[in-house]
Amino acid sequence: MKRNYWVILVVIVALGLIAWAGVTNYKRRKESKMPTAVLSATPPTSASDPAAADAPFKNPLADKQAPDFTLHDTTGKKVSLSDYKGKAVVLDFWATWCAPCKVEIPWLAKLHDQYASQGLVILGVSEDDLDQDDKAALTKEKQQIADSAAKLGINYPVLLDDKEVSKPYGGIDALPTTFFVDRNGKVVAATIGLVDRDEIEANIKKALGSGDQAPGQAPDPAQKGAS
Amino acid sequence: MNLPQAVAFAVLALAVAVADAQKLPWETNNAQGNAKQFVKFVYPEQVSVAANKDSVVELHFAVNPGLHINSHVPSEKSFIPTQLIVAEPPGITVGPVDFPPGTDFTSAGEKLSVYTGEFVVRAHVKAKPGEHLVQAALRYQACDALSCYPPRNAPVAVDVVAK
Repeated sequence: MKRNYWVILVVIVALGLIAWAGVTNYKRRKESKMPTAVLSATPPTSASDPAAADAPFKNPLADKQAPDFTLHDTTGKKVSLSDYKGKAVVLDFWATWCAPCKVEIPWLAKLHDQYASQGLVILGVSEDDLDQDDKAALTKEKQQIADSAAKLGINYPVLLDDKEVSKPYGGIDALPTTFFVDRNGKVVAATIGLVDRDEIEANIKKALGSGDQAPGQAPDPAQKGAS
Repeated sequence: MNLPQAVAFAVLALAVAVADAQKLPWETNNAQGNAKQFVKFVYPEQVSVAANKDSVVELHFAVNPGLHINSHVPSEKSFIPTQLIVAEPPGITVGPVDFPPGTDFTSAGEKLSVYTGEFVVRAHVKAKPGEHLVQAALRYQACDALSCYPPRNAPVAVDVVAK
């Protein structure tokens, strides 16, 4: 009987706190006003320390199987990594607001042209934020990504990340981040940030050169020299 | 539902309600809250202003060395502008906000309008007599020479004392 009093007391206190939290939350929401952003003066100084923000990049998936995923591309088509068994796949995480990505992407488009016949597939994964709660905004955002891709000359599928795919790939803290997956689905190289075109090409050759080839695909004559 | 179950339910609901009550408008459930900041709000923590009069509060920010963020007017439409998002407590109004002009900067062959190092945002405020804790967030998107980082919100809190 005594125990029941205690339980009732705890419930009453808990309900009281919930009511308090609800009122506080309501007040806060009511009081909160959103964006305020305009213009004015005072130029800042320029930075000279080239020290980057993070420690050196370590490939979180080195020699591991590339995590499979299914995403929609900009045309609404479902694309899975497992669709490309037997192919070498370059997964390039990028965004429309990423200036270094705009340097790298035209290189990827040319390398795609060059190596597609040998079994290379490139998938661009857009990390742009998408407003899933607002259909009109979502349509506009998707169109902006598609327009940006067209402007950059992307000639391979551009997938829209739902933020669930980047997690198994190490979180994708910086863009561009690129994974090179061999014909057996193993990650053979990864780069973070803008790197030399030659380094990208060497990693493509590495991905093409290892693993079992899909039937009917020509071997890569250049692979012997790859790193 | 028996009493112990009711207690468990009540406590869980309480935890959810309290967690939600503590969120500010720009706070979301994504991992950004734990993400590393590249811009820091430097000062002031407290300012005094004349009550019921238009005043300006200068907010000082610092961008980490080696990085830049887009200015409030980026060089390209697809780039993410720096913005101040403010939650106004009762008794104070905040806005408009004056941002400094961006500095021209070339990165990865692209001409950008950016902030680097320290910069000052001037917020116009009008407060009733008393103490008002203004909480805000500077939304920015940072890059270094070779990489760009997803947009972040740098927390800002200023105690405005109006006399």
